[in-house]
Amino acid sequence: MSMMANNLGTSAIGARTDENTPEKISVRDLSFFYGETKALKNISLPLYERTVTAFIGPSGCGKSTLLRCLNRMYELYPKQHAEGEVLLDNVNILNPKQDLNLLRAKVGMVFQKPTPFPMTIYDNIAFGVKLYENLPRAEMNERVESSLRRAALWDEVKDKLNTSGLGLSGGQQQRLCIARTIAVRPEVILFDEPCSALDPISTSKIEELIDELKDHYTIAIVTHNMQQAARVSEFTAFMYLGELIEYDRTEKIFTTPSVKKTEEYVTGRFG
Amino acid sequence: MATDVRNMTLYRRRAVRNRVYMGLSVAAAAIGLGWLAIILGTLLIKGLAGINLAVFTEMTPPPQAAGGLANAIVGSLIMTGLAVAIGTPIGTLAGTYMAEYGRYDKLTPVIRFINDILLSAPSIVIGLFIYEVLVTRMGHFSGLAGAVALAVIVLPVVVRTTEDMLLLVPNTLREAAAALGTPTWHIVMKVGYRAARAGIITGVLLAVARVTGETAPLLFTALNNQFWSTNLNAPMPSLPVVIFQFALSPYENWRELAWTGALLITFAVLSLSILARVLSSKSGGER
Amino acid sequence: MAELSVETSFTSAVVDRTRALKRFALTDAFFRSLTRICAISVLVILGAIMFSLVEGSWLALSTFKLDFVTTEVWNPVTIKFGALSPIYGTLITSFLSMLIAVPLGLGIAIFLTELCPPLLRRPFGIAIELLAGIPSIIYGIWGLFVFAPFLQSHVQPFLIDAFADIPVLSSLFAGPPYGIGILTASLILVIMILPFIVAITRDVFETVPTVLRESAYGLGCTTWEVTRNVVLPFTRVGVIGGCMLALGRALGETMAITFVIGNAHRISGSILAPGTTISATIANEFAEAVGDVYFSALISLGLILFFITFIVLAIARYMLLRLERQAGN
Repeated sequence: MSMMANNLGTSAIGARTDENTPEKISVRDLSFFYGETKALKNISLPLYERTVTAFIGPSGCGKSTLLRCLNRMYELYPKQHAEGEVLLDNVNILNPKQDLNLLRAKVGMVFQKPTPFPMTIYDNIAFGVKLYENLPRAEMNERVESSLRRAALWDEVKDKLNTSGLGLSGGQQQRLCIARTIAVRPEVILFDEPCSALDPISTSKIEELIDELKDHYTIAIVTHNMQQAARVSEFTAFMYLGELIEYDRTEKIFTTPSVKKTEEYVTGRFG
Repeated sequence: MATDVRNMTLYRRRAVRNRVYMGLSVAAAAIGLGWLAIILGTLLIKGLAGINLAVFTEMTPPPQAAGGLANAIVGSLIMTGLAVAIGTPIGTLAGTYMAEYGRYDKLTPVIRFINDILLSAPSIVIGLFIYEVLVTRMGHFSGLAGAVALAVIVLPVVVRTTEDMLLLVPNTLREAAAALGTPTWHIVMKVGYRAARAGIITGVLLAVARVTGETAPLLFTALNNQFWSTNLNAPMPSLPVVIFQFALSPYENWRELAWTGALLITFAVLSLSILARVLSSKSGGER
Repeated sequence: MAELSVETSFTSAVVDRTRALKRFALTDAFFRSLTRICAISVLVILGAIMFSLVEGSWLALSTFKLDFVTTEVWNPVTIKFGALSPIYGTLITSFLSMLIAVPLGLGIAIFLTELCPPLLRRPFGIAIELLAGIPSIIYGIWGLFVFAPFLQSHVQPFLIDAFADIPVLSSLFAGPPYGIGILTASLILVIMILPFIVAITRDVFETVPTVLRESAYGLGCTTWEVTRNVVLPFTRVGVIGGCMLALGRALGETMAITFVIGNAHRISGSILAPGTTISATIANEFAEAVGDVYFSALISLGLILFFITFIVLAIARYMLLRLERQAGN
């Protein structure tokens, strides 16, 4: 199985992009159910390779639910299921035969609240790596360092790698979680409101980080902060009540949206 | 500000009633705690009188002779240890199923309910059960049967605490581990158990404290043994059973040893409970 | 190899991964079945307990049929067994002990939650919980050597004299002061289940939302009025559940009772008289029982005890579960 995306360009939305960027993930006619309640209604949109796509919308619009479909995190809970297709490199990951552990190793996720494991900083990073790779100590050290560097945390923690990850500040913990996600070498990273529990300075650090990460990864970010969406993303999807109202280039969504509802939301008239 | 006289009378009546009931409540606390203090005091006085080296080095004596409780202490330790060795792994794994793999399984509430029943079932019934399934089949009383009976008592305690502790581990942590592609067993081992470890150990300690004083299930499983015995296939002495037999005997030296044994058991149980408490409060502080 | 910025290294882990994934799937399936088997073993044990008790008691129950629970004769020599007196003893001692322990326990719980100086609240609470763990044999030996003689010389003669001329009470407190007997056993049970009741009711009282409590105090209610009109109604289900749990323990309690009940197979109108309970009978007689019917009769007693406690505990758990849901909402 090739991990490199094929440049098939079978975009469901069509010519929304002027480059030949391949679609890393294609969501097609996706619906999601909590028991009987339909929380996502026939969503279709692409996530282009090595770009940042933001999901915005008022609380309860389904943006986090959509994100959790991309790594099937909902499988941890009963009575939740998805219908439709989510293609990752043209393979439908909603297929019941899809191995969830493999999927999640390829599609990493960073959560709203920082969730360091109750272990040392070093072990937090090594934890995921050890699952799939049997690295000699030196290489593991190297991996931990490079992940922490890439998450812009190395300089702050290099002298206390063997202390508990719980001792870090909220912003540092979140970057630790990002480093942990990077360390297993995913192809896609999902951010679920990664800054909502952080102070403004930590927030801007994370935003800078996302900007750098997109050179290597396909990124999807859920945010309730419209400025953040405008700052970090190339594409934006506006969702409302489980429906995708509008999907377009970010500057278009925020300057000349084609749907009235979107305009009302981005100008702060509701939400 | 003028206050209505009738209201003041009413208020006074209410205040008096309050004082009466609160007085009763304080009295209840005084009676309860005083009573317990008397019991522990007596135990201390009567038990300490008999504490000496011989208690720990000599065998249980025949009537009217000097001796100790060494064989009973060792028997108790062996059976308790074996009970924990049997009950803890099964209980931990069962609790793991209920909190992790089978959290949304329809079977889990049923198991939880039955486990709670088992948790408070009369221990003498468990003794009868083991007698039926082990003693009659083996043809004789044995330390092994005693240990199994105690294991049946340990099991539900461990199941309960393991499940409770794992349920306390936040789901966000599970999701975070799953998001790295971690298989469930690995999440349980590395994240679940690690976060719940102190709680589970506390549960095991409490279970040990509970079986340390159990007498009824040993009466007709391990029975008793006047002599030193570490043979699991033969009747085995234990502190509680020795206390039971000696206390009901007409011999003064036996009764004295019973008090000493009672003090030892109480001391052991209280230390285990306190240790468990310290451990759980420590882990609470870390979180 | 682990140089992250090199593009190819991102995709090179594939081979490692497929191998690891296969291992994961196997281990997960194994671990899942293993834990499931252990969980089901809990059910199996309870089922096995029931089955073995029913099997063991079959002989006696089929021999004596309904007579087993309606007659009072307990005679190993003539091989006639009726369980009425142990059943009566179990029920009466549990009833009497609940009669005293519940108000006392509620009083202590109220003291702990409403009146106790905050500084002492924790140590008192911990002391109560620790005492709940003291083995019952300790209470038994204290009851036999200290409490029963005390009752015999100081309390029982006084009770007999005081109620001698009052119609109903005179027969309730009749007979010579033995020291051991139904009343002594009940009082020992009180002190045994007291820490239990206190610990549970205190926890239950603490589920009352602070807002509710404060708004009642805000109206000018006295402590008693808050307790009576807010705390108790709010926690009624939980308190009853906790008491049922304590009742379950009282019903099945063996060692403490065995020491002080007197072990007499007869039903007496006087609560000063010796009696027996189901568990005391089993503990006293099982090791010396000879003959299949005798054995089977004792196991039948165990079955009856298990049956009674099962129902009581089931109700208790159901009620506590209801409180939990209420508190959760």
